[in-house]
Amino acid sequence: MAGVLIYSDKLNLALELITAGKAINDEVTAVAINDEELAKGLANAGVKVLSVANEAVNVADTAAVASVIKELAGGVKTVLLASNRRGKELAGRLAQKLGAGCLTDVSSFTVNGDKIECQRNALGGATVATQVIVSDKGVIAIAPKSFAPAGEGSGSIELVSLDVSSKVKVLEVKAKSADAVDIEAAEVLVVAGQGVNSQDDLTDIEALAKKLGGEVACTKPVATDKKWLSEERVVGLSGKLCKPELAVLLGVSGQVQFTVGIRDAKTIVSVNTDENASMNQLSDYVLTADLHEVVKDLNSKL
Amino acid sequence: MNIVVAMKQIPDLQQIRIRNRQPVFDDVPLTIGDIDKNALEAAVNLKEGTDANIIVLSAGNEDVEDTIKEALAAGADEAFLILDDDLEDAESSQIATILAAGLKKMDDVSLILFGEGSGDNYSGQVGSRVAELMDLPQVGYVSTIEVNGNVAKVTRSLEDVEEVIEVELPAVISVMAGINEPRIPSVTQILKAGKKPKEVLELDDIEIDLGAATIETNSNLAPESDRKKIVVKSVDELVEKLTAENLIGR
Amino acid sequence: MDEKFDAIIVGGGLAGLASAYTLAQNGLEVLLLERGDYSGAKNVTGGRLYVSPVRDLFPDLWKKAPLERFIAHEEVAMLAGERSLTLRYSGNELANEPYQSYSILRAKFDRWFAKQAERKGAAIITKTKVDDLIIENGKVTGVLAAGDELKADVVIACDGAMSLISERMGIRSPGLPKDHAVGFKEIIELDPNVIEDRFGLADGEGAARLFMGEVTKGKFGGGFLYTNKESISLGMVVSIKDLMEDQDVTAPELMDNFKLRPEVAKLIRGGQTAEYSAHVIPEGGYKALSKLFADGLLVAGDAAGLALNIGVTVRGMEYALASGYYAAQAVIAAKEANDFTASKLSLYEKLLNDSFVIKDFKNFKEAPQVLDNPRFFNHYPEFVGNMMKDIYEIPAGSKDRLYPTMKKYMKFGELWAMLGDLRKVMKI
Ligand SMILES: Cc1cc2nc3c(=O)[nH]c(=O)nc-3n(C[C@H](O)[C@H](O)[C@H](O)COP(=O)(O)OP(=O)(O)OC[C@H]3O[C@@H](n4cnc5c(N)ncnc54)[C@H](O)[C@@H]3O)c2cc1C
Ligand SMILES: Cc1cc2nc3c(=O)[nH]c(=O)nc-3n(C[C@H](O)[C@H](O)[C@H](O)COP(=O)(O)OP(=O)(O)OC[C@H]3O[C@@H](n4cnc5c(N)ncnc54)[C@H](O)[C@@H]3O)c2cc1C
Ligand SMILES: Nc1ncnc2c1ncn2[C@@H]1O[C@H](COP(=O)(O)O)[C@@H](O)[C@H]1O
Repeated sequence: MAGVLIYSDKLNLALELITAGKAINDEVTAVAINDEELAKGLANAGVKVLSVANEAVNVADTAAVASVIKELAGGVKTVLLASNRRGKELAGRLAQKLGAGCLTDVSSFTVNGDKIECQRNALGGATVATQVIVSDKGVIAIAPKSFAPAGEGSGSIELVSLDVSSKVKVLEVKAKSADAVDIEAAEVLVVAGQGVNSQDDLTDIEALAKKLGGEVACTKPVATDKKWLSEERVVGLSGKLCKPELAVLLGVSGQVQFTVGIRDAKTIVSVNTDENASMNQLSDYVLTADLHEVVKDLNSKL
Repeated sequence: MNIVVAMKQIPDLQQIRIRNRQPVFDDVPLTIGDIDKNALEAAVNLKEGTDANIIVLSAGNEDVEDTIKEALAAGADEAFLILDDDLEDAESSQIATILAAGLKKMDDVSLILFGEGSGDNYSGQVGSRVAELMDLPQVGYVSTIEVNGNVAKVTRSLEDVEEVIEVELPAVISVMAGINEPRIPSVTQILKAGKKPKEVLELDDIEIDLGAATIETNSNLAPESDRKKIVVKSVDELVEKLTAENLIGR
Repeated sequence: MDEKFDAIIVGGGLAGLASAYTLAQNGLEVLLLERGDYSGAKNVTGGRLYVSPVRDLFPDLWKKAPLERFIAHEEVAMLAGERSLTLRYSGNELANEPYQSYSILRAKFDRWFAKQAERKGAAIITKTKVDDLIIENGKVTGVLAAGDELKADVVIACDGAMSLISERMGIRSPGLPKDHAVGFKEIIELDPNVIEDRFGLADGEGAARLFMGEVTKGKFGGGFLYTNKESISLGMVVSIKDLMEDQDVTAPELMDNFKLRPEVAKLIRGGQTAEYSAHVIPEGGYKALSKLFADGLLVAGDAAGLALNIGVTVRGMEYALASGYYAAQAVIAAKEANDFTASKLSLYEKLLNDSFVIKDFKNFKEAPQVLDNPRFFNHYPEFVGNMMKDIYEIPAGSKDRLYPTMKKYMKFGELWAMLGDLRKVMKI
């Protein structure tokens, strides 16, 4: 009854969910839908896997996936999902089906008796809320990389068949330009904000990142509006939560949705022409100057 | 054809102050979440050249009646509001129940648009919950929408791939942040907004059971920050400080 | 939209809101355009409003207005390099209703005032900047804002100290540094109990403190402090001309030094700065007042130069409120006569002349010239500081007799100059 069911269509995230699930209850069951590789990978992490094979269920159909998981979640109290886009979209629908409370973007939790006290960012990242689901059942979506992936073990696979229909049709799947960068792992980040004048200036900024032994990251508009860098490099609430040793912020104003992604950095340097930029209040070193000059200067001095 | 856009009133996040780690909401002006504005703009773009009617749907406290003018000025044709002062702190499941009840009072709804997340809570649940309550198909994180008869062709933008999806209407679609540049209404549009039709219901009018709360909030605090905030005057001084901290030149 | 307004008001500060409120109350169609996120969002003031002179102009307004504390205690401090002299004044007229003056926070007050004007029927649109006037045959007929042409019988320019609107109509020449000061202000949050203890305040009471001398390093100006309900408004005013002439010190540095003065530091200890702002103040006095009207145009508040800098304090808010009110009265009369020419609108000037506003300006006519004298901001504070030191100091040895101590300061030349300055001050 008290068991945990976990689901993500991404193996790496599902493995993290196993670790999170074990912190709640020893009895962790995983779900795989039309994906034998995923089922095997999960079984190799030592859990029981319910493997659904039904071509009518497309993982792109949130309603169908929610129906499947509801069927399989009969006996459990808590369902863990990944808080990536797919997982977040699923969370609300599944919770509504289960009559469950739901928390998404949960970055950590502590188990206190039968209560799971979850931490998640609130108010756009200005605050961290500690919240508890008090309904009988709960759906929790866990932010990627909040838990280590589960190690090896020996689990089992049980094939399940279910009857589900679908109202959506996937016409095409296009890969996004692959950017294999892992800004969360970088020790040093040089973050380009909208203060950067043009895409050409990124060459110098990349050179600086290289000299500092780090990666170039950016604020959201630099990736989504200007499309100068891939979304993989976005720091913040809807991007990555990073903890580098050193973060050099270039032309970043410091809105909450961004700062939430960098506030765990050990040392923060802010370069901004505006001495009153809110980012300066949250930085260790503040240099009021034109970032383009500063980057050139740093490149020549390092 | 009606296109409904669900929009949430939120405090202007940039103006919330933190005092003793607590957020202070006194005198913080109210506005509408950015992504919800993207959803409205998407609706306005869809409407162009059709006879579609855009209804903005919102649940919240009495101030919504004022706040929603922004949406009426930016292209919504009418507003459907469900107001109660207790709704300020209502949780996602309750808001979804209310919005679904409102939707059930409307005719000929073909698309219900949401933002990927509200400006303050950003939990991305309400749209999905409404889809379930209305038993409709849904697609989230949508970057493009095309309507052809009774189907919509949309692009869902995931972290690694883009899915081009065809979905039967009516459907629930949540748009991704920043997919368009919401228009800034002109003065005349703002003045006209005041005269657009508004259906305002009290929570009591819709006779629904909100159900018990499913979430309790134990605390909501700003993280402690003890940044040094040292102002350096030159690049040389910066290099010197960072070298001293062994952060560069290792 | 073909709709035409009776009046369009540019700027939703106190002058603009007072106009909008009064016009709407009298049933006129009025549109107010404010470029800020909301009225009061960026409006800077020291924070002391003298309600007495404007109480009767807005009889319904004051009961519920979000005023902070009534000022029951006045202090002026002369700061010298290492010492200071403070005068404290308390009086019955300060501590009894109706109270003369209150501390206020514009973000709260203006926003609330805007709501009241809306309730009376004014259309208020924020986040919208007026870019230009529409002028036809030498007469103002509307404004251009965000690409829209908006028409009205009269435009009232209430767009503050840097008014572009009145410059556009040529009724005011671009500002000269000598006619302006710059003000800085911080709002420092403190627990109400701490405020009341520190300043010795009873319930609802507030304190006003002014600082002269070392604060501005001898420049024309001074520092001020007002207690609000849960915060302190601390700031200073300095002449732009003096600042420009002295390359050694910047305004933010002056402000930092001011906060470090022990007399000030102990009052704000433990507080958190919630807001920092800076703003220009017109301070040319009566002689620098602009022309107040043209065909289809009226100018009110700071836009017309209606702020008085008396050295350490600035008064502008009640002038803004009153001029907004009188501008509205002139428009109401013009509407009745359906005549919006300059000659009809000149009623505004007449009303202002008969009111406390222009009387104050005439009474203080000499103030800018007299006070533009470094002795007031530098020499006298130092002088009284030293004198007091000699009076109060008990040295290791025996203390001098008091008379020779005093006499040391009473040199003939000193006395003569002081007398001269004093005579000029009497003219203010
Ligand atoms: C729900 C939601 C989620 C969001 N998630 C994220 C997120 O994950 N990550 C994110 O980053 N944003 C996010 N945002 C957007 C966020 O609110 C801000 O819009 C964004 O962070 C601003 O980016 P910026 O600082 O680069 O740009 P701006 O705010 O435009 O700031 C540019 C800065 O550059 C400075 N500048 C200009 N020229 C120069 C120069 N020559 N030299 C030096 N400095 C200069 C300016 O003074 C300014 O401070 C989100 C928003 C919402 C509503
Ligand atoms: C530091 C400081 C201390 C002061 N202390 C005091 C004091 O203690 N007591 C006192 O009585 N007075 C004081 N004053 C003066 C007082 O604040 C002003 O005289 C008063 O605010 C003037 O009101 P106003 O409505 O004319 O102008 P403002 O309050 O400046 O309002 C002008 C409005 O117009 C808007 N605006 C400008 N241009 C446009 C445009 N093109 N389109 C649309 N909107 C526009 C602005 O956003 C603003 O809201 C002080 C001033 C300063 C700076
Ligand atoms: N109170 C509300 N009224 C109308 N729409 C809402 C409300 N709350 C949330 N929404 C919609 O649901 C979306 C997701 O909200 P959330 O689940 O809070 O992240 C928002 O982007 C809005 O489109």
